[in-house]
Amino acid sequence: MAAITCEKLTKRYGSVTAVDRLDLAIGHGEFMVLLGPSGCGKTTTLNMIAGLEEITDGTLRFDATDVTWQPPHKREVAMVFQSYALYPNKTVRENIAFPLQLRRTPRAEVERAVADVSEQLEIAHLLDRHPSQLSGGQRQRVALGRAIVRKPSVFLMDEPLSNLDAALRLSMRSLIKHLHQRLQATFVYVTHDQAEAMTLADRIAVMRGGLIQQLDTPDGIYSRPANTFVASFLGSPPINLVEGEIAADGRFARGALRLDLPPGAVAPGRAVTLGLRPEDVAAPAPGLASLEARVTLVSPLGSETLLEVVAPGDVALTLRVPKEWRVRHGDSMTFGIDPARLHLFDRQTEARL
Amino acid sequence: MLARLNRKFGYDERSAAILVFPVVAVLLVVAAYPILYSFWVSLHDIVLTRPLRRPFVGGDNYLRIFGDERFWLAVSRTTVYTVVTVVVTTVLAVLVALLLNETFPGQRILSAVLLVPWATPSVVNGLMWKWIYDPTYGLLNALLLKVGLIERYRAWLGDPDLTLMLIANAAVWKQMPLAALLLIVTMKAIPDDLYRAAKVDGANVLQRFVHVTLPALRPGLMLVLVYETMISIRHFDLFLIMTQGGPGDASFTLSWLIYVETFRSLRFGTGAAMSYVLAMATFLLSWAVIRWLGKRI
Ligand SMILES: Nc1ncnc2c1ncn2[C@@H]1O[C@H](COP(=O)(O)OP(=O)(O)O)[C@@H](O)[C@H]1O
Ligand SMILES: [Mg+2]
Repeated sequence: MAAITCEKLTKRYGSVTAVDRLDLAIGHGEFMVLLGPSGCGKTTTLNMIAGLEEITDGTLRFDATDVTWQPPHKREVAMVFQSYALYPNKTVRENIAFPLQLRRTPRAEVERAVADVSEQLEIAHLLDRHPSQLSGGQRQRVALGRAIVRKPSVFLMDEPLSNLDAALRLSMRSLIKHLHQRLQATFVYVTHDQAEAMTLADRIAVMRGGLIQQLDTPDGIYSRPANTFVASFLGSPPINLVEGEIAADGRFARGALRLDLPPGAVAPGRAVTLGLRPEDVAAPAPGLASLEARVTLVSPLGSETLLEVVAPGDVALTLRVPKEWRVRHGDSMTFGIDPARLHLFDRQTEARL
Repeated sequence: MLARLNRKFGYDERSAAILVFPVVAVLLVVAAYPILYSFWVSLHDIVLTRPLRRPFVGGDNYLRIFGDERFWLAVSRTTVYTVVTVVVTTVLAVLVALLLNETFPGQRILSAVLLVPWATPSVVNGLMWKWIYDPTYGLLNALLLKVGLIERYRAWLGDPDLTLMLIANAAVWKQMPLAALLLIVTMKAIPDDLYRAAKVDGANVLQRFVHVTLPALRPGLMLVLVYETMISIRHFDLFLIMTQGGPGDASFTLSWLIYVETFRSLRFGTGAAMSYVLAMATFLLSWAVIRWLGKRI
């Protein structure tokens, strides 16, 4: 096992700063997910940890050892790529055995390890095939096998499931989670898929433009987003963001819309953005703020129903309600909202208030 | 009749046939006819000094070739020349491709310059190297004397031990660029992730070359080997321009023998038969290379 410490880690390509003074401490055996949109610097960060990309500035440590200038093979990390990156001319067996052969592991031991790994990943029947004869899911299993066979202390995964179809992605997700529990190794996992991040991570680092926006547990990221970017990046359907200000009576105001806030939350007159998660609505009840809205679209999902509504002030919102609610297009209805579940962000800085 | 044709071959096939007809016709006239005619010639005893008597002799011309010691000498010269040219060209092409596949300042210019020898006409290339090797005003002599490797000018092409190698050198100079270009194209298609995976797996530069580059290069290498073998085994221009088979018989290759037999001795029958032997040998060698490298892709 190894803890990974990034201190002011920076990567510049000419004038482009891909990763900007990134501070990140990943614990022993932790499952860390780097989450963010395409181009935010996730892969670059991972490659710097792997040693595949030279570090422009800053320090990288594995436990107490400074590995900033160490070549990849000295770092004892394993990596899984979105493209699988299997050696096309080698069989599955040879692919998995390759890292061990490079380390001059005795033959019998290699054979035992390959058998063991292929058993775990249920690819024992594929050992004599070439990668071109495998499906996407099977290829990624082989890539995982090649990664775990030499029992490294750090696993790096760069969008390993992005090339798979939705159903396969789900089963591979749980396979990876099981692997993490069994191997007790440190995982750094890159993805742009928020659902993947939420289900897998011990902690998530949400990135944008080479900077970490928020570092927290999945629950913390979801229920206390640090800014509007993080708030809107997680959750499906995404959070409703409404720009407005704080009225003199302490309520949120946008045109004719008024919403109760927790008492004394923010000083009156401030320009804010209000965040409301689609599922944070209930039937009207005492103690809840009430919101009048007209339903413009009803989309049943089976387990629940998505509503598109228009609130006073022409504010369009997406809401998620229990499937038992009998709602029809054109209905006007009242929703109850718990003020404590509302998110407030500064409109200028976009930071949480 | 047309209706039956229509039923047998669909509309697309017929338009395709009409469209390729001109090309097929031209090929029939300029390729198929000479090939068949030269085969017919190889079965007759045709000597231009007595043009009216050209008896049919069947396989006699072929038998006569195999009993001719000049033929076996030419086979051995051709083998040496071909092996040296193909091996050196291929190895150099791999090295040049590896170099030019990296990004460094001047890489684009170097890639463009690389193609100059390839674009040089064969005859010009031959004359150029003949001058370079020239015993009295050649560049090679001047250079070697200046750096002190020789003490006085030498007649390079007059040295029977060196002639074949010096011609091979001129051939490599011209043929290597295209081979390197072919290999660069193959190399560019290797996904970067494979190299990254190999690095993480612990492979050093040499191991990455052996386990990633070389296997991916196989189709390109096959093409280069087949093409270079075909070019070298039949090569003629440089021998005509630089040595005419000499000194003595030092550069007496098959193509030169065929030329001498046909156009100097005017024995068209045996000349054509030799051409057929050479063509068959080329074909068999290419087939062997394709089998050898092709089956392991
Ligand atoms: N080799 C490179 N040369 C120049 N810019 C690069 C290079 N690799 C990545 N970048 C830039 O760095 C930024 C981060 O890239 P990357 O880490 O691949 O993002 P992500 O993996 O989050 O999609 C992007 O703006 C990208 O254009
Ligand atoms: Mg990426």
